[in-house]
Amino acid sequence: MRAYAAGFLRRLYINTAIAAAAVLGPSLFASAQQIDMNVVDQPGYVPSQEEEQLAGPYEKQLVFFRTTEAPGTVIIDSSQRFLYLVQPNNRAIRYGIGVGRQGFQWAGLEKISRKQEWPDWRPPPEMIERQPYLPRFMAGGPGNPLGARALYLGKTVYRIHGTNQPQTIGHAVSSGCFRLVNEDVIDLYDRVPVGTKVIIKQAVAL
Amino acid sequence: MGIAGRCGAFALIGTVAALLAGCASEAPSPPVAAATPSISADALVGKWGLASYHRDTDRPRTVKEALAQCNKPVVINKGPNGGVMMYLADQPELQELVLKPGPDGKTFLGPPGDAGTADDRIVTNVEPSSFTTVWVDPDNAGRYGTMVYERCGKRA
Repeated sequence: MRAYAAGFLRRLYINTAIAAAAVLGPSLFASAQQIDMNVVDQPGYVPSQEEEQLAGPYEKQLVFFRTTEAPGTVIIDSSQRFLYLVQPNNRAIRYGIGVGRQGFQWAGLEKISRKQEWPDWRPPPEMIERQPYLPRFMAGGPGNPLGARALYLGKTVYRIHGTNQPQTIGHAVSSGCFRLVNEDVIDLYDRVPVGTKVIIKQAVAL
Repeated sequence: MGIAGRCGAFALIGTVAALLAGCASEAPSPPVAAATPSISADALVGKWGLASYHRDTDRPRTVKEALAQCNKPVVINKGPNGGVMMYLADQPELQELVLKPGPDGKTFLGPPGDAGTADDRIVTNVEPSSFTTVWVDPDNAGRYGTMVYERCGKRA
C-alpha cells in the first residue's frame, strides 16, 4: 500500500511538472525575450564560427506546423522570434530571428520584392543621429551589419537579412528588420524566390 | 694651507674655469624643429559625404556612394587649438584631433600626443575634394574599413 502511494505521488508529481512546463514554458521563454537588448550596430565586426552557431530553440530545425498557408510561404512570429518557411505535411523549417525593438515592431502582408547577396548598408537617419561616427554607406561584405543576404519586403524599408551579431538572435534589437545568422539567411535565400508571400505577425497560433 | 696647497687650489680652479670657458665658448646647438605634418588641418575642414569599404575592389563605387551621402554630411570644423573636430571610433562626442607626422612619411590623425596610437587613423589620398582614412587599431579597421570622405558642394 505504501509503495503504491509512493508510486502514485511520483507519477502525479511528474505529470504535474510536465503540464506546468507545457503551459508555462512558452510564456517563460517569451518573458525572457521581452527584455530588449541594448545593442548598437557593430559595422565591420566579423563573428567567429562558434558565435554563429545557434543552439536550442533558435537553431534551424524542422517542426510541426499546422497552417492553411501554402508550402513556400514565410510566416514571421515576432513575439516568439521565429521565422517559419511552410513545408508540406504540416511541417515548417523554423529559423531563430532577431526582430524590431520596442516601438519598431510591425505586422503585415508582403512579398519578397528583391534579393541581394552581401548587400550594402545605409544606416537610417535615426541611427546616424545616435551614432554620428558611422559611415553613411558601407559596401557589402563580411562585417557589414546586413550580413550575407537580404530579402526585401515589398516596397517597405524592411528586410529579412543576415547579421554580424549572432548574439542578437532571439532578441528585439533592430529598427524593424528581421535578422538571421548568416548561415540561416543563406539557406533561406536559396529556398525562397522573389514573389514569396511573407506574413508578419506579432504572434502565431500553432 | 701652504703655498703649494694654495697654488694647487688655484691650478684646480683655473682648470675648472678653463673647462667652463671652453663649454661656454661652444655655440649652443640649434633647437630641433618639431616635425610638421605634410597635410594641413584646413584641408580637412568642410562638409563631406562619408562612405566605407573593406575590399579594395569596392573603392570606386564607394567613392561614388560617398558623394551621394551629402544629404547626411559629416561636418568637420576647425578646432580651438589648430586641430579639427571629429569623432573617434565608437565615440558620439566630437573631439579635437590633430595631424601628426609619423614614420615612413605617414600622417596620423588623432588626439594630441604620439603618432600611431590606437585612437589614430592614417590619412591618405588627400586632395582638395577628398581624403581617405584607415584606423590604426586593427579592431577599428576591421569594423569600419577604409573610410572615404568626398567633399560636398563646390569641388576643386
